[in-house]
Amino acid sequence: MTAITADASWLNTLHQGRVAFVRFCAYLGLIAGVSAMAAFGVEYDNAFLLRLLSAQGALWAGTGALAGLAAGVVLGALRPRLQESRIVLNTVPWLDGFLLMILLAMLWSRFEPAASAINYEDQSNLFSGRVIMAMNVIFIFSAVSYIAYLFAPESFIGRIATLSAYAGMYAGGSALLLRWYESYLLDVEIGHAPVSNLYEVFILLFVITTAVYLALERRYQAKAMGAFVMTLVSAGVFFGIWLDSIGQGDIKPLVPALQSYWMKIHVPMNFVGYGSFAVACGAGMAYLFRHRLEQKGSQSRLLKIFPTLEQLDQLAYKAVAIGFPAFTLATILGAAWAAEAWGGYWSWDPKETWALIVWLVYGAYLHARISHGWHGKALAWWAVAGFLVTVFCFLGVNMYLSGLHSYGRLS
Amino acid sequence: MPAMNSFSDHVKHIWLRLGSMSLAIILLVVLSIASVIGTVLLQNQQQADYLQQFGPLWYWTFRALGLFDMYHSWWFLTLLGFLMVSLAACLWRNVPRMLKEMKGRRAHLPERVMRRFRLHRQWQCADPEQERQRFKSALRGWEFSESEEGTTTSIRADKGRYNKWGYILVHAALLIILIGGWVSVQFGFRGDMIVPEGSSENEISFLKGTSREYMKMPFEVRCNSFTIDFFPTGAPKEFRSNLTIIDHGKEVLTKDIIVNEPLYYKGVRIYQASFGDGGSTIRFKLFHLDDFQQVEQVTTHVYDTWKDEKTGVSIEVTDFKPFNVENMAEPGKPKDFRDLGPAVEYIVRGPGLKPVKVKAFMNPFVDANGVNQGSFLMISLTGDAKDYKPFALGIDLSNAKEWQLLHAFLQHLSRNKAKDKKQRNLQAFRAALHDVYGDTPPKNIQQIAMRTLHAATTLPRLPWPYLPMLEDYDQVYYTGLQLARDPGMNIVWFGSALLVFGMCIMFYMPHRKLWLVLKRENNTTVAHLLGMSNRNEMAFAKTFNDVFINVSSAFAEHKDPTTKEKI
Repeated sequence: MTAITADASWLNTLHQGRVAFVRFCAYLGLIAGVSAMAAFGVEYDNAFLLRLLSAQGALWAGTGALAGLAAGVVLGALRPRLQESRIVLNTVPWLDGFLLMILLAMLWSRFEPAASAINYEDQSNLFSGRVIMAMNVIFIFSAVSYIAYLFAPESFIGRIATLSAYAGMYAGGSALLLRWYESYLLDVEIGHAPVSNLYEVFILLFVITTAVYLALERRYQAKAMGAFVMTLVSAGVFFGIWLDSIGQGDIKPLVPALQSYWMKIHVPMNFVGYGSFAVACGAGMAYLFRHRLEQKGSQSRLLKIFPTLEQLDQLAYKAVAIGFPAFTLATILGAAWAAEAWGGYWSWDPKETWALIVWLVYGAYLHARISHGWHGKALAWWAVAGFLVTVFCFLGVNMYLSGLHSYGRLS
Repeated sequence: MPAMNSFSDHVKHIWLRLGSMSLAIILLVVLSIASVIGTVLLQNQQQADYLQQFGPLWYWTFRALGLFDMYHSWWFLTLLGFLMVSLAACLWRNVPRMLKEMKGRRAHLPERVMRRFRLHRQWQCADPEQERQRFKSALRGWEFSESEEGTTTSIRADKGRYNKWGYILVHAALLIILIGGWVSVQFGFRGDMIVPEGSSENEISFLKGTSREYMKMPFEVRCNSFTIDFFPTGAPKEFRSNLTIIDHGKEVLTKDIIVNEPLYYKGVRIYQASFGDGGSTIRFKLFHLDDFQQVEQVTTHVYDTWKDEKTGVSIEVTDFKPFNVENMAEPGKPKDFRDLGPAVEYIVRGPGLKPVKVKAFMNPFVDANGVNQGSFLMISLTGDAKDYKPFALGIDLSNAKEWQLLHAFLQHLSRNKAKDKKQRNLQAFRAALHDVYGDTPPKNIQQIAMRTLHAATTLPRLPWPYLPMLEDYDQVYYTGLQLARDPGMNIVWFGSALLVFGMCIMFYMPHRKLWLVLKRENNTTVAHLLGMSNRNEMAFAKTFNDVFINVSSAFAEHKDPTTKEKI
């Protein structure tokens, strides 16, 4: 055991063994409780969140969580080996993070203006706007710190960079959850999940990109890559600020085509794909950067803290390996939604076609890597180019092409 | 390349080529580039629009290439066919080899193979039996196989041996999805059906290439009602159709459908897709412009043409909308949407008249300050909705008094002999006001005066013999349904499930192999630990190190057994 891991041992006990396992089971129970309520407890309508926050929701979720907790204790005692399962160890931190986001959103909701001061016409007094502004500042600060870390690789600068990335991620995630709640405050009929327009999904994209990056940073000590990933996120932040400035940041009622529970599944899943591809792009850029430094024979100090070329190559692959199955699943879910809403699982709509193109680009990346044994520079370029195609699929199609996904357009 | 002399050799050669990786990558790239065309060029539009957009030369070139319905053109389908053949050939070529590889678990490693391993540690050990025990207990849940050759004992441990099933499933799944798609196109249908409220329909229409085709359904659909629900903000919230299915003259089923909640009957799904005017009854008031007096009432319907026999002027009613939400802000200012109320669209044609498209609003325009600005029209000289220009008529034609006032004003004006134009207008208007309102003129008399004056100069400029204004309406919607049968859908879902399942195996259950090779030389034994993973080498390198720490006697003796790392 090294000194660093020993240092954080109290944290480790939280993430290991029985504590983690029981918590995992409680989370599963909670999710099962909420799902059961969605399926049997309420007629499906758009006020689901309000129901969830009522006594009824507490009953379903609480029962589920308690049952999960009890099952966890019993199972853990009967089959101790289960407590060491990798799936549990890898999933628990994510669920913890999500719970923290929910708690933060609940805290923010205390600062909401009085009900009489909330109106649809002027949404600038909603608290989520302030949390999002804080997120913007934090993300930009994080990107600057990561870049500073490249030039002055002091561990405390690196720690600040990572911490601010975490802070930004939690601010963004909790702001989105808060926005969900606020949409009900505006009007019960307007209320809907915060994944319905470009502005909201942009924030989702920042949060997911940062989360995927931080997971890789934690596991593979690839801190130098953050300068590239967080710069991409910051570029997105500026785009988000622009969107807000032209009035695209407001909560608007859902068009009938989007009023479906599929939206809550399909859209976030897609952004797991997009976010991972953004991280792969960051790894690709880091690769190309280091490659160039090495070619010039640089003796720079930052080469020491930089992941090696091989590690960066692997990290890019790793990100694609997270993104590609998620993107595939998201596309299939989209097809299922289309089949339910429009009568055909595939209609060669521009968005669908571009999703197919993105899928083919990363499919070809995987083939080039696995079957043809390509590595290194060519694939780094491919990861960068693939992300450009992804950006077009995500933004370009909405902004320039028409079709069934046109509600993602700027209006 | 070997000499090929028989036909079967040729076939075999082509078959191998078809399954090759290079062809697959070329196909994927060509497919993606081809797909882009269809997203840039709007598909399945009116042929006339294409002709206007591209001019005859490009229109016919594009048409010959099938670019207006590109995804169903022969060459695109051929590409997809090639992809299917390529996938099948790839599976045919690789599956037997992969199955064989998954079975074979030879433990022995020849010396030259050992040298190629990247993960390789070796150490001297006193008691090889301990090493072997520790190796097995450190790797609980792994599969072991052992072999002895001479003085060398090899123990091999495998995890995720079935990783190759991932490849097989993913590629088979894609083939299944493509087959499902083919079944959908071949044996399914999808088409539009338009049913006005109160009527029924049993025919769908769909585009095939550049022409529209029709198909009878085995049942009739009657639309009982269509309603639109709005959010408090004015945006549409819900489109709802109440439908009755009539099968062989009998009403079998009545149900509401909304977007995202279709109706299912006899293998056909019925979706809410659009709506429009189903032939509303429109009552016009025709304000005759020749002598400014006569007002005539006419009743017609949307999509009908009413013709005036005397003048030969006709009004073709094209659309009616009860709500017309328009942006009333000045250009560059924040948008300000307001509902201007019911409006009817019609085309006026007649001898010596240029046909123009008109949108006539029932209510006068009331500006942001609540001031009545009189009735108005939108006139498009090209017939295109984009070219609508507002045309203020001055007086409020929904108010009969104002029409009388205008008439009286013009009469007094023609009789008045005053020299000064201003004086003449003023006197004529005063007289007219007295004629119409008597001694109690309305409060906003100043505005009415301005508007009457405006009307007196604009109305005579209209070239038509009369001005048709919307007086009343009786609205009927049509509901636009989409009917689809898709027998390939379940095949596609099966393929999709396999695809996701296969991907999980492929990406997250790597085939990891570890060897413990114990070589006895004279009195000592050299232990070798070797590792290999077909995925995620970075994570595996960590695992490898953990195993090394656990197995190697040099480390194991100093270790506290409770902190044993889990692999």
